[in-house]
Amino acid sequence: MNQSDNNVASDPVQLAEPDASRAARFIGSLTGRLVMSAVVWSFVALVVGGFVLSFAFRSYVLTDVDKRLELLLDTLIGISEVSPDGDFRFNQALADQRFVTPYSGWYWQVSTEEMEPLRSRSLWDFALDAHHEKRRFSLRYSIVAGPDGQQLRLAEHDIILPEAQQVFHYQVASNMAEVQAAINRFNWLLVSALALILLTVTLALVLQVSYGLRPLRQIKRDLGDVRAGRAAKLASARDPKLPQDLKPLVDEINGLIDQNDKLVQRARTHVGNLAHALKTPLSVIQNAVDGDDSEQSSTIARQTKEIRVHVDHHLKRARIAGGGTGVGLPVCDRINKLANAVAVIAGDKQLEMSVECDPGLMFDGEKEDFDELLGNLLDNAAKWAVSEVTVTVARLEEGLRRPLLEILVSDDGPGVPADKRDSMFDRGQRLDEQMPGTGLGLAIVRDIADMYGGNVKLSTAPLGGLGVRLLLPAK
Amino acid sequence: MRILIVEDDVTLAGQIADNLKDAGYAYDMAHDGEEGHFLGDTEPYDAVILDLGLPIMDGASVLKKWRADDKKMPVMILTARDSWTDKVEGLDAGADDYLAKPFVVEELLARLRALIRRSAGQTSPVLAVGPVRLDTRNSKVTVDGSAVKLTAQEFKLLSYLMHHEGKVISRTELTEHIYDQDFDKDSNTIEVFVNRIRKKLAVPIIQTVRGLGYRIEWEDDSA
Repeated sequence: MNQSDNNVASDPVQLAEPDASRAARFIGSLTGRLVMSAVVWSFVALVVGGFVLSFAFRSYVLTDVDKRLELLLDTLIGISEVSPDGDFRFNQALADQRFVTPYSGWYWQVSTEEMEPLRSRSLWDFALDAHHEKRRFSLRYSIVAGPDGQQLRLAEHDIILPEAQQVFHYQVASNMAEVQAAINRFNWLLVSALALILLTVTLALVLQVSYGLRPLRQIKRDLGDVRAGRAAKLASARDPKLPQDLKPLVDEINGLIDQNDKLVQRARTHVGNLAHALKTPLSVIQNAVDGDDSEQSSTIARQTKEIRVHVDHHLKRARIAGGGTGVGLPVCDRINKLANAVAVIAGDKQLEMSVECDPGLMFDGEKEDFDELLGNLLDNAAKWAVSEVTVTVARLEEGLRRPLLEILVSDDGPGVPADKRDSMFDRGQRLDEQMPGTGLGLAIVRDIADMYGGNVKLSTAPLGGLGVRLLLPAK
Repeated sequence: MRILIVEDDVTLAGQIADNLKDAGYAYDMAHDGEEGHFLGDTEPYDAVILDLGLPIMDGASVLKKWRADDKKMPVMILTARDSWTDKVEGLDAGADDYLAKPFVVEELLARLRALIRRSAGQTSPVLAVGPVRLDTRNSKVTVDGSAVKLTAQEFKLLSYLMHHEGKVISRTELTEHIYDQDFDKDSNTIEVFVNRIRKKLAVPIIQTVRGLGYRIEWEDDSA
């Protein structure tokens, strides 16, 4: 169709926006703040929990290793003996392949200060540090460096064997690699599980917050409806599912809308009174100088006319409500009444006015505004028509965001040349200065149509005269 | 033709009255709704110019009351309330025309003439009976094309008769419609006027219906 139709159908809010600003908007939003803060706290809690769990698991695994080392140490001590000639030996072989294979990861060593330490074969050429200077007659554990770059868990004990004068230092060690692998496996599992938890929690939070904030979004939509004139008040007020804590807010907003309506109503009444107050004196002045050709009188007449144009324009504009009523105005009945009024006011002119309209059609707006729109258009058509004025009304729905009324007013008058059509909407613009009127009609029509997000266009009518196509929100 | 002006602004009412007088109408004035209603209810008017914003009783109520009481004289609403909703409401209340303030006197007079003509069943602004032509727009009377000079009172009388062509009009009715309220009514003067008009026109279009009044009619003798 044309450019202005797109204006009616499109909504700037729905246009795409850059991702960056979208992200910024999310963080700035209530949803964003709730989700972000909850996620940050969950993350901190999960990390701390993860460390605690990991530490606990490590100690558990180490305790297990330590118990085995202690057992081995006890076994080692149990089979040790010192011969009467002072030689140290085992009275029994330590039959475990793990202590034979070099660098198997399991080691033992028995040493004294003087004696060359006895070592498991698995230690091969490596000797564990015996630390004889720090003698302790109790079992103790540590982690030390072992052969082949291994890390060892070491259990050591100083013992004075019976029949011996020396202190024997027993050491049993096991490679930490296995333990570390178990811990690593556990940590990996832990991190995955925690990450999964964080993800689930975040998702749940988003869902929860969006569910929790749904009434607010509903209120926002309702407010949009009120502003666009599709509703008179917030519909949420009557919603039994509205949370108790939001009800006062909704009621307050409705109260505000009520008050605003009252103010508008009062302003309109004032405007009407002002119109009355100004126009009678204007009539008096105009009549007083009428027919007097003196320069003074013609100046007064000119200025009076000027005042009249301004007064009319601003009063008419101030009267425009430009909002939906939520009820809908039956269009056909109104057009017929207006056509009748226009025919009466047109006086002697014999006009054939035909109105083609489906009685069910509704305009979503104020009666006064509709009257001004159609009254001006019909009056204009009646003024210029030779004998015929037609009005057709149709409802457009296909491909539109909201239904529209398409009202076509045509006459069989002289019409308006294409290059002059745009200027027809200018205030005080009159194509023929001989015709009565202030030249405000079409300007007002466009102002009202604009207020409703509608549109008015001029063309050549099928009857040959001016054709006006008016688009308005339908109910 | 006798007009009732109901307008609370005395200056404006006076201006309208002066213009009506110049145009050859008789008029009465009321400055509030109650007085206006009373006059319209009791006196026979050929048209009423009615303001809507009136003290005591507003114009729409006055009009509705008249229509409810079957008063059928044509009423022109003259108001500053010029929204189309007001116009529709005014016409719905029973008005026959609607003129928004501020207005030009010429338009008021033109509309008034048309209103009176229409209510009398005439369609053309030039009333014609036989060779006599009366142009309501400029108050000129011609017989076979040549102008006839009439005084204001004579014109009023002829105009009223010609608006009601073919109907019998009593002297009382004529008195009521060509003089305003304060005029000292003497129906004998009517006879004087009628005779003078007959002489000036020199064509027999005014018949006397004995005991009833006068009637304007052209009986084409040549036919």
